[in-house]
Amino acid sequence: MDCYGCCALVACSICFFIFLYRFIYLIKLGNPKDLSQKRGNTSKAIKYSFTEAMLPQNKESAYLHLPTYIAGVLFHIGTFLTLLTFVCLIVFSFVDITIPPIVRQIAAIILIPAIISGFSVLLKRVFSKELKIISGPDDYISNLLTTSAQLFTAICLVFPDSAPAYYIVMTLFFLWLPFGKTRHLLYFFFARYHLGYFYGWRGTW
Amino acid sequence: MVTLDKAKKDKAIDILRTESDSKLVTHLNSCVRCGLCAESCMYYLALKEPKFIPSVKVNLVSSIYRRYCTFEGKIAPTLVNARELDENMAEEMIDVLFGGCTMCGRCVKHCSIGVDIPFLVRKGREMLATMGLVPATLQSTVDAAVNTGNNMAIPTDEFVGTIKWLEEDLVDEMQDEKARIPLDEQNKEIFYTLNPREPKFFPLSISAMAKIFYAANAEWTLSSKYYDVTNYGYFSGNNEEATIIARHLYDEIHRLHGKRLVLGECGHGSRANRWEGPNYLKTEYDFDTITVVELIAEYIRSGKIKLDKSLNKEIFTIHDPCNLVRNGGLMEEIRFVVNSAVENLVEMTPYGKDNFCCGGGGGALAMSEYNDRRLKIGKIKADQIANTGAKIVITPCHNCVDQLTQLNHTYKLGVKIMTISEVVANALIIERQ
Repeated sequence: MDCYGCCALVACSICFFIFLYRFIYLIKLGNPKDLSQKRGNTSKAIKYSFTEAMLPQNKESAYLHLPTYIAGVLFHIGTFLTLLTFVCLIVFSFVDITIPPIVRQIAAIILIPAIISGFSVLLKRVFSKELKIISGPDDYISNLLTTSAQLFTAICLVFPDSAPAYYIVMTLFFLWLPFGKTRHLLYFFFARYHLGYFYGWRGTW
Repeated sequence: MVTLDKAKKDKAIDILRTESDSKLVTHLNSCVRCGLCAESCMYYLALKEPKFIPSVKVNLVSSIYRRYCTFEGKIAPTLVNARELDENMAEEMIDVLFGGCTMCGRCVKHCSIGVDIPFLVRKGREMLATMGLVPATLQSTVDAAVNTGNNMAIPTDEFVGTIKWLEEDLVDEMQDEKARIPLDEQNKEIFYTLNPREPKFFPLSISAMAKIFYAANAEWTLSSKYYDVTNYGYFSGNNEEATIIARHLYDEIHRLHGKRLVLGECGHGSRANRWEGPNYLKTEYDFDTITVVELIAEYIRSGKIKLDKSLNKEIFTIHDPCNLVRNGGLMEEIRFVVNSAVENLVEMTPYGKDNFCCGGGGGALAMSEYNDRRLKIGKIKADQIANTGAKIVITPCHNCVDQLTQLNHTYKLGVKIMTISEVVANALIIERQ
C-alpha cells in the first residue's frame, strides 16, 4: 500500500474510533428514565420504527417528494457501497487479492445512479430558495465530499491507476464524516430507536 | 430588545449539556436539514415562511449545541453551522419556538430521520425560560396556576358557587335529589379534574360529565381548590414551575385519598399529568392516572353506561388533539367512544396520528401577541372541517374547543363544537337510581 492508501487508512481508523467512542457513549447513557405508567409495547414500536414507519407510504417526506426520496435512497445505497469498496480494497491489498474486473465494473455501474442522485440533491440545495435559506457550509461540504467519494470510488474501480486521487478523496471524506452532518450515519439509528421507544411507551405505535 | 448576560447564557447552554440519557444528544445530532419536513408543519403550509420549516426550529437549538458543546463547533463554527447564543439568536428563538410551533409533533412522524422536533423545541423553550425570556402572556398564565391553583385565577368561592349551581341543575334534570357534584370528598374512587375554561366559560361540559358519573353510579369528587388539569409550565419550558403545578394535583389526590386521577378533557393537561408529571416530580405515581376518554370507554365496555346513538343524529367529525392522539396513543379509544355515541361519523383528511393541530396548542392560545398567526394557521383545520360536511366537531380538549370556536367564527364554518362528554351525555340512557 502506498502512502496515499496509508493516509486513507489512518483517516478511516480515526473516523471508526470516533464513531465507536460515540456509540459506546450513547449506549452507556441509555434510555430515558421514564417514571410514567407505560401504556404500550416499546419493543414492538421500535421494530415498527425501523420497518413499516420507514415505508414511503407512511411518510410525507417520502410520498410528497418521491423524486427526492428515490434520489436519497440511491445516494445512501451508493454511500454504503463506497464504504464497503474501501474496506475491500484495503483488506485485499494486505492479502494480495485483486477484485475481478467484472465485479469492479458492476460495482461502478451501481454507483452511477448514486452519484447522479448525489449531484442532483446538491443542485436542489443550491437552487431551491427554501433549501438555500436553511443550508450552511456543512450541508454543501457533506454532500460534495460524499458524492465525490462515490465518484472517485467508481473511477478507481474502472481505472485502478487513479488510486492516489481516490485515496486523497477518501481521506478527506473520512476526516469529515464524524464532524459534519454526515455523522447521522450513527445517530440515525438511535433517533429511530428513540422514536419507537417514545411512541411505544405511550401506545401510539 | 432582549439582553443577555454571561450567567444567563451559561445556564441556558447547560441545558444542552444534560446527559441523563441518550435521547437529547441523539436528536441534537440527527437532523440533516433535508427540508422534507416543511409540508408537515402547518405554520409553513399556511404562512410559507422558511423560518417555520421544522428543521430550522431544530437548527436553532442544535446550532447552539454545536457551538458550545462540540469540538468541531468550538474550532470551526462556520463550517459546521454552529451559532453563538446572542441577543439576535434569542429573539429568533422566541419568535419561532414560542410563536411558530405548537409542539404538535406532526413533523416527527414524517421526518426522514425521526428527529423528535417538539422535544428539541421544548429544550429551546427551557433555555429561554432559564434566561427569563418566556412571553409575558404565557408566563402570566403559569403564574396564575402557581399562585392560585388554577390558570384562570378563579377564586374558590366563585368555583364552588358555579358547582353548586350546576348541582342544582343536575338534580332538576335527573329528577333525583341524590344527584351530586361532590366537592372535596375523601376516599372516592375517582378524583376528577377540569380545565378552568369549564367553570369559567363552558359549565355545561361539567354538567355533562356529572350526568355520565351519575349514570355510571360512580364514586367521584372534585377538589374545590386544586382541580386544574392544565399545566402551562409544560409549554413555558420552566420545569420548576411545571413541577409545582403538577404537585398541586399529586398532593390533592393524596389529601383526599383518591384512588384514580381522571384527567378532564384537555390534551396538554393530560400529557403534562399522565406522561410528564411523574418525571417532573421524579416519582412513580402510586395511583392510576387515566384520561376521561379512557374512563368513558371503560364505562361503555363494562355496561355501566348505556348509549342510544339515535339521540345524536347529525353528521359528526372528530378533531384529534395532538397530545391525546399522536402523543398519547388514544386514537382508537376516542373512536370507540364516539362511534358508540353517534350515528354518523365522517373522518377528516388526514386524521388520527396524521391529523393537523387546531393551531391553539403549544400555549398559542395564551400568547395573544401571536393571535393573528394562530388564526391564519387555523385555516388548514377550518378547511379540513368544511370538507367533511359535518355539522358537529367533537374534540376531547378544551384548548382545542376554544381554538375551533374562534376558527368557526373567523372562517364562518357554521358548525357546533362539542366535547366528548357532551356528546356522550346527549346519548345517555338514564336509568333512575
